[in-house]
Amino acid sequence: MSQSYDELLDQAQARASLNLRVKVLLVDSLGLEIQAELIGDDQPLFGRGLELDSLDTLEIVVMFEEHLSVTISDDDRAAFGSVNKLVDFVVAALGEIPRVEALA
Amino acid sequence: MSDDLIGADGRKLTFDANQIRDLLPHRWPMLFVDRAYDVIPGKSGYGIKNVTVSEPYFAGHYPDQSIMPGVLIVEAMAQLTAVVYASAWKEEVADSDEVDTAGRVGYLGAIRQMKFNRLVVPGDQLILKAELGKAFGTLTPVTVQASVGNELVAKGSLTVTERGSGGGNGLQ
Repeated sequence: MSQSYDELLDQAQARASLNLRVKVLLVDSLGLEIQAELIGDDQPLFGRGLELDSLDTLEIVVMFEEHLSVTISDDDRAAFGSVNKLVDFVVAALGEIPRVEALA
Repeated sequence: MSDDLIGADGRKLTFDANQIRDLLPHRWPMLFVDRAYDVIPGKSGYGIKNVTVSEPYFAGHYPDQSIMPGVLIVEAMAQLTAVVYASAWKEEVADSDEVDTAGRVGYLGAIRQMKFNRLVVPGDQLILKAELGKAFGTLTPVTVQASVGNELVAKGSLTVTERGSGGGNGLQ
């Protein structure tokens, strides 16, 4: 599949916007005391990463349904690995990169 | 409100105080659902809590002014939630009387959001409502509401846990 430079750039920008949007949603809905921009795309969400726990997973599930219209089920636990994995899941579920506002 | 045990569509159940004691581990003075009605097992339901001046907590909350503590309203909502999901377990094994629902009822995992609009005082009949969201593992989000007559008392959302058969607190 060949894509023009502009198309690739557009996709990359859409993906970056979505990653940042997810980070902002995480910070807002979980009350994290960290700036969204400082969360790494591949930083682990649990344990030593962002130190989330199982109650936070449910918060993320509800938040994704509300804001991104994507349902994460109990079988999709791998999606909670990192911001990138969450966003990969959203893109796979929707079949495209949803266009979101870059900044909240 | 329907006094029938089973509603018109055959799916809405009513539980009196005795049946609620069968489902929940709670007992006086911490059992706060007098009756549950229009219960769709595993999905939603309504509950009644009649508030009387004899409630033990009014002795201290407060000596000069009886007000039902907000956290106990939340507890009542959580207990109704437990009735809604415990009734679903009961249905799963309809033929067996040996189901230990009280042992599976978990804990309050989170008060995700709650707002209180009106004081609850002796004489009030609290109408509770609970609507369960999609469970994620042993965690279930639930939207809850309490009202007296037409007046909204409190509204919010909770997370409740289910204790697995192996014990534990339902958190992973």
